[in-house]
Amino acid sequence: MNALTQRVFDVVKAHVLDVLTDIDPVEVTPETSIVALGGNSLDRAEVAMLSMETLGLKLPRTAVVGVACLGELAQVLSRHLEVGAPGLGNVTR
Amino acid sequence: MSLEPRIAVTGMGVITSIAADVPSFSAALRAGRSGLQTVSPRAGEPGPPRVLAPVTGFSWREAMERHADHFPEGCARAVKILRAAPRSMHLGVCAALQAMADAGLWPGCGDERRIGVIVGGSNLHLRSAWDAVHRYGDGAGQVSPRHALHLLDTLHVGALTEIFGCHGPSLTVGGASASGHVALFQAFTWLRAGVLDACLVLGANMDLSPLELEAFNALGALGGEGWETRPTAACRPFDRAHGGFIWGEGSGAVVLERADRAVSRGAARLGELLGVSLVMDGNHLPDSSVAGEVRAMQEALASAARVPADIGYLNAHGTGTPLGDRTECAAIRAVFGDGAGRVAVNATKSMIGHSLSAAGVIEFIACLLQMNGGFLHGTLNLDDPIDPTLDFVAGPVARAGAPAIAMSNGFGFGGFNSSMVIQRGEI
Repeated sequence: MNALTQRVFDVVKAHVLDVLTDIDPVEVTPETSIVALGGNSLDRAEVAMLSMETLGLKLPRTAVVGVACLGELAQVLSRHLEVGAPGLGNVTR
Repeated sequence: MSLEPRIAVTGMGVITSIAADVPSFSAALRAGRSGLQTVSPRAGEPGPPRVLAPVTGFSWREAMERHADHFPEGCARAVKILRAAPRSMHLGVCAALQAMADAGLWPGCGDERRIGVIVGGSNLHLRSAWDAVHRYGDGAGQVSPRHALHLLDTLHVGALTEIFGCHGPSLTVGGASASGHVALFQAFTWLRAGVLDACLVLGANMDLSPLELEAFNALGALGGEGWETRPTAACRPFDRAHGGFIWGEGSGAVVLERADRAVSRGAARLGELLGVSLVMDGNHLPDSSVAGEVRAMQEALASAARVPADIGYLNAHGTGTPLGDRTECAAIRAVFGDGAGRVAVNATKSMIGHSLSAAGVIEFIACLLQMNGGFLHGTLNLDDPIDPTLDFVAGPVARAGAPAIAMSNGFGFGGFNSSMVIQRGEI
């Protein structure tokens, strides 16, 4: 995981902790998923939406369909940031 | 209509601008407290400062903590649901928790397929819709997937059945400002018909945005203009200076149950719903009708097998709109005839404003608290009654008294008229 993806993962993790209650932050790893953490499909969609909003990304819903874990979500989002989306400032803020 | 089975009230929960639980609500009614204040619009939002009766200082998380010991699984489910839920859900779920705790009706207390949930109210999440429109429409944010759930009023039913494990027939019903009465009518009817053994009835909060407040203002129904420096004097049911209703936040919940079932499980019977009515004017407009209100009161009495002389106290719909107040006075005179002056009348809305969908359930609770507590609360700001022939409990001071049977009226835009006949508890 490169530095940008790590920063994006930190954003994703913050929103996971915001959306799911009673989760120990150490459980939120790149290898785990929302469902594995006790969430549901709605929680998964909301974490993706909130993360995109923080990052200044507006991607079609299909862009994040099929991601298997939080690390994969961070990778998808960071790939879009690398091509010049305006959210870098938000990530580093 | 059969008078069996008898329908007992075994649990109550309430959150309003003057109290966030039943004991403090009773004390606030007795003390004649007002929840009205002048509220400025949020930054960047349109509209003038308005006199409203908001629920302040309420924390749903703290409310959860009070029930976590005796209902840990349900509270855990509730916390997950409420974390991202609209405000009306916070008030509704917490009022329902109070009522279910009061009734001791936890999962395992009977056949869950025979316990249902009925929610009174439509368009409950208008404020969150307003917020979503502005986040999305202004290009500042994205639409939460949860909004697709929040736009459905049935969210309350789904959430409450999940939290409490009720799997019996459940639904949401609407009747504008009579929604709470309509919900109680539906529950009463289903319990009498044997569809359910017990039912959680929620009068849901209707969370208005600046758009709806301005619409009610444009209609001429909203009061408070000119009273901004004296907000507690703005809500004036049956007073000659009445000028419209004041919106009040709130939610009320009761558990209705077959009385024989309540007895067999040793539940306290806080009161009894003797009879209910629901009649229509055949009119989609806001104006009320004497004929419809008379019929509602008469049919509720017939449903309870009672006569007007049995009613010692009437909790009026009494919103403080000039036409509504005049119409209700005329209807009370018509129903009670020569005995109209012997029925004590008050209006809970003078203290908490008009809680719209929730009003019927909140006022049902107010009736029981007064009858069981031996007092009749005052009607604030009733300085110069429009009808001196009626026995209004006027002013802030409560009157001592313990009527055995009360009537509660609820009327709504669109020609809804509903009344209930209520008996005090055996406690």
